[in-house]
Amino acid sequence: MNILDYLRIWLAGARYSIVRTLMFRFDFIMWSLVEFFWMAVNVLLVAVIYEHTQSIAGWSRYQMLLLVGSSMLVQRFIMGFVWSNLFEMARNIRSGQFDFFLAQPGNPLVMVSTRKLDLDGLVNAVVAAAVVVYAGRQLGLSPSCVELALYAFMLLCGFLINYAILLITVSLTFWLGAAQGIEGSYFTLMEFSRLPQQAFKGVGRLLFVWILPAVVVSNVPANTLLHGFDPLAFLWLLTVTVAWLGLAIWVFNRGLRRYASASS
Amino acid sequence: MSVFAKYRHAFLIGLQSNIVYRWGFAVRALFSLFHLAFVFILWGAAYQGQTTIGGFDLNQTLTYFIAILLMQFFIGAFNEDYQISEDIRNGLINQFLLKPINYYLYRLSIFGAARLVSGALALLPVLVALPFLKDHLVLPEGGWRIALGLPAMVMAALIQFTIAYIFGLLTFWFLEIQSFIILSLAVETILGGQIFPLDLLPAWFFRLSQWLPYYYQMYFPTAIFTGRLDYTQALSGLAIQAFWVIALLGLAQLLWTRGLHRHTAVGG
Repeated sequence: MNILDYLRIWLAGARYSIVRTLMFRFDFIMWSLVEFFWMAVNVLLVAVIYEHTQSIAGWSRYQMLLLVGSSMLVQRFIMGFVWSNLFEMARNIRSGQFDFFLAQPGNPLVMVSTRKLDLDGLVNAVVAAAVVVYAGRQLGLSPSCVELALYAFMLLCGFLINYAILLITVSLTFWLGAAQGIEGSYFTLMEFSRLPQQAFKGVGRLLFVWILPAVVVSNVPANTLLHGFDPLAFLWLLTVTVAWLGLAIWVFNRGLRRYASASS
Repeated sequence: MSVFAKYRHAFLIGLQSNIVYRWGFAVRALFSLFHLAFVFILWGAAYQGQTTIGGFDLNQTLTYFIAILLMQFFIGAFNEDYQISEDIRNGLINQFLLKPINYYLYRLSIFGAARLVSGALALLPVLVALPFLKDHLVLPEGGWRIALGLPAMVMAALIQFTIAYIFGLLTFWFLEIQSFIILSLAVETILGGQIFPLDLLPAWFFRLSQWLPYYYQMYFPTAIFTGRLDYTQALSGLAIQAFWVIALLGLAQLLWTRGLHRHTAVGG
């Protein structure tokens, strides 16, 4: 199968997801509200803390809002494009229904990751983008087209890093089996993407800024809008993206070898 | 078989089945330390340049978050709503309609067993991290805090479980309840004080939250233990908490009775 075949399959899956969403409209509204409320939780945390303090690690209220907005934007795309696919992957590994993907004539990782779209996540990406725009306006920012294109590209890198972390977490199911709810660990780790890099010190800095890719995904794009393009930071983001995506694919493939199936 | 013996057996079975998922709980407990690290970094940065926020110093705030984390594992509802929903959807509930066993008490017994296992497992990573955490722990003195905090904790557990039970019962009316549950979880997370101590909210919002059941889920017992409430506030809070326990039990019973009227048991 070539890339056009995968694209055709993905488009068919997307069309099916849209039709399904139109059939279950109430469900769509409820899930959109769920996503919206969880974003409101993050924005409310920023609002409450800044009622009692002027800055967090040197970041003002609207700089922080721009950072949180960037982090939310990446996560909405994760929720829209891959979350439910990978969530179901964990369930399918436990139940043995993962066989269905192995029997398909394509790369199992691509087939499993692109099966369907969640429109509620994508709708809320607009809300997250609005938070970024609002924060940018309050800060009086006027980024150039190149900076905006770089920001968008960096968010794509952030998306791939998030995907890699989620894939590694879910792939642990190949080894742990009954560990239900392990997918949620991804959210715990990516919480750190809502913090400014300067807030980290000592071991925390080593772990969350340099070893785990939680901070880089949001800080580098947000800094590009706030302070302009930094080639070194950009290179760091690219390296982290390639390294974690490579690691995630390796872990998935190793896990695949352990998969015992459920058929008799 | 005596009434007590029935639920004791349910409790023991719950204990066994939850021990099967010990690794799941252990991994969750381990990752909760990451959440604690997030809290320490965020609030540590917020306290830079000032000694108090909302009248509490950094260590008092960190103690609050450590306590609320433990509270989640000891009294929080995890997936009881889904289990009840599955029982109704798959028809497993039919067997309880034919036996002399109360479904609420049966589920409550299993909930108690599950929290015993998850609470014990949550203590392990906290104990491992204790050498680091102990410098930040500031527990106020006063025996009354234990005397009032423990019943507050028990009633908070009842509120948590009963809300989960009520959401599970919604399956009698709706095929898919997951979105209701996660929506409610978002509200609980804010108004239960898991994201920030509720006393940091604007005064009018804080006063409003004290009349809602969410306040009595996590925040109330935690605030008693960690010194964010005085004796009088704790006593009046207990009265409102007791009201919410009774009101939610009443609502649960009403939904159970009405739901059974809609329920169709198929099969022989």
